[in-house]
Amino acid sequence: MSRPVHASVTRALVADLRHRLGAADPAPPRLALPPVVAPPARVYVARRPSLAPGAGSDHTTALLGIGHVGTRYATDVVLQFQAELAVAHEAVAAVLDDGWAADHGFLPLRSRVADHREYLLRPDLGRRLAPDSLARLQASAARDVDVQLILADGLSAGAAMAAGPALYQATADACRARGLTVGSPVCATFARVWLEDEIGAEVRAQVAIILLGERPGLGTGDGLSAYLVYQPALGKTDGDRNMMSNLHARGTPPEEAAPRLAALAHAMIAQRTSGVGLDLDRVEVAVERGYRAPQVRARLVDTGGRP
Amino acid sequence: MELAATIRGVTYRFASVKELLGRANPPKSGDDLAGVSARSAVERVAARAALADLTLAQLRAHPVVPYEDDEVTRVVEDDLDAAAYKAVAHLSVGQFREWLLDGATTGATLHAVAPGLTPEMAAAVCKLMSNLDLMTVAAKCEVVVRANTTLGLAGRLSSRVQPNHPSDDIDGILASAREGLSYGCGDAVIGVNPATDTPASTAAILTALDGVCRKHAIPTQHCVLSHVTVQMKALALGCPMDLMFQSVAGTEDANRAFGVSVALLDEAWAMMKAQGTAAGPNVMYFETGQGSALSSAAHHGADQLTVEARCYGLARRYRPFLVNTVVGFIGPEYLEDGPQITRAALEDHFMGKLLGLPMGCDACFTYHARMSQDELESVKVLLGAAGCTYLMSLPVGDDIMLNYQSTSFHDIPSVRRLLGKRPTPEFDAWCEAKGITKNGAPGPRFGDATVVA
Repeated sequence: MSRPVHASVTRALVADLRHRLGAADPAPPRLALPPVVAPPARVYVARRPSLAPGAGSDHTTALLGIGHVGTRYATDVVLQFQAELAVAHEAVAAVLDDGWAADHGFLPLRSRVADHREYLLRPDLGRRLAPDSLARLQASAARDVDVQLILADGLSAGAAMAAGPALYQATADACRARGLTVGSPVCATFARVWLEDEIGAEVRAQVAIILLGERPGLGTGDGLSAYLVYQPALGKTDGDRNMMSNLHARGTPPEEAAPRLAALAHAMIAQRTSGVGLDLDRVEVAVERGYRAPQVRARLVDTGGRP
Repeated sequence: MELAATIRGVTYRFASVKELLGRANPPKSGDDLAGVSARSAVERVAARAALADLTLAQLRAHPVVPYEDDEVTRVVEDDLDAAAYKAVAHLSVGQFREWLLDGATTGATLHAVAPGLTPEMAAAVCKLMSNLDLMTVAAKCEVVVRANTTLGLAGRLSSRVQPNHPSDDIDGILASAREGLSYGCGDAVIGVNPATDTPASTAAILTALDGVCRKHAIPTQHCVLSHVTVQMKALALGCPMDLMFQSVAGTEDANRAFGVSVALLDEAWAMMKAQGTAAGPNVMYFETGQGSALSSAAHHGADQLTVEARCYGLARRYRPFLVNTVVGFIGPEYLEDGPQITRAALEDHFMGKLLGLPMGCDACFTYHARMSQDELESVKVLLGAAGCTYLMSLPVGDDIMLNYQSTSFHDIPSVRRLLGKRPTPEFDAWCEAKGITKNGAPGPRFGDATVVA
């Protein structure tokens, strides 16, 4: 039996329903579309109101004065952003070369981490030395020192390799200038901050300072952070530590960071504590803030003369 | 009390309420790291089935850290509202979920019940809820607080301007703050994370922010997010301070790692009530985030969602003006990717609101987590739809000091327009008067930082 060809049954039902409800057709009357006037090939140039004298836009690399299209970004801003994001992701993926530490005069050490993904997912393994590294440290590092400095990859091996040796040397010099003894140079791969506890305890340092690559920022990956702890030992927590971050040209440059780190180490030994217990008001550090170049954010995407 | 459920003839048994809570949690890298997560997808469902049959009274009787061992548990237990608790104590977690979702259960009722709920109850029901469940209930909760302005009203979405700078350069900080204000951001707070944690720098930044707010009569609050002890010293120096901040954790041991205790927070709150510059009564600001306790090995074998809920149990003691989870900041070892961060953002917002807090969220990722910018933008809309009290706002979402990606000055007006939301009433009127907005849409001075030059 074939179905009657009555596609209009539903239509009739709906028409009857609308009639009974006294409702009009819910679809709006068809409007004539407006003629499309060709829009100008306009470039949404960044408005730079913050360039007014003293407004501070040359004091920061924050992306200011970029304007808007409706409530969103101009196309150029989107492309710059995506390029910066790609740079950050590449910085995270970098790995500290095995031979690099030895070539630069550091005793090479490794945490218990096997590879980069494990480094990201297993901070517990990054806080302890691999057995062979522990043996190497025990065999060749100086003991009973005032300060043990440790260079480490952290989340930016690139920053550690590019900026690490200079900051390490400057900090060691600043410590010695205060009469503090400094331990053997060591460099750790796949290292977390708390790795300084085991290394520092092993060499019986009064203060351990780890200088490690910090999480890359947008478009960057060149920053180091420093974490200091008094009488390093397994079991110390973040509250036991003092830290300085953004050790790079846009934040605190090495020539300012090194004397500050030495002053903190000196104060920890004098006050016999670190972290929240350290009275920072009594940390004397004479750092004249000299001339600072205007803060500029590099454009990554060359748009071939397009603004 | 037997903790077990059977699926296809296999019976799964759980040794304790704490173990059950961990096994019932959705997948999180941090729970894997702690060794508390389900060992299979089926075991996870079995744990949820067993959890659904526990009563709220049983959860109260089995906090994940014992009363004798932990001051956060003691704060929760000692401050619990007996009448509110009694009303729902008999419900199983499964029934509690249904009661929360029931259309007859209003926001006012949820607000009345909040003081009778323990963090473990909020965490338990959270584990039985899908993302849309979490949004549906959270959107019912209205938590209104006041410092200088009124936050958390229905139909509002507020934001913190976060003008951080890697060397605390005051001019640089103010340049970012002005830009944010010109996009209609900053009605929750103008809050700076300082690079240097000293009383002098905290006071200097606060004084500068206060100058801008006074000059342009901006109806908002200011805050510098240094350690609470540093802010107390800054306050003693006599600087203006509308809100006092501290990161808090869900166990006494984890708070010790942060350098805080209930006694210290009590002292800070008392000092702030006496010397803070906001009208109040809500003058405290707390940040939290899943995984922080585990990062200092202070989680006591509990899963990170439950420990996060306990942060809110502690925070509510101080009647805060702002509480937000910094959901993607901690890194992939705790929340590995976009789905985990998205889920955690909705969980934390839900639990905070359920426990009676004006909950905001820093929807964010670090560059070593597997989350795309598109996923992050989606989270902001989900949070807005769930009634999230406030989000962050930064230039292009880029924190040039803390190095992570959050919400941008452009995102806040975008989400507001999509969802039909406005800033706080006081700030809304200010934006309209300044020409930043016109009837809620971008106005003639939108994005023009000279409006607060």
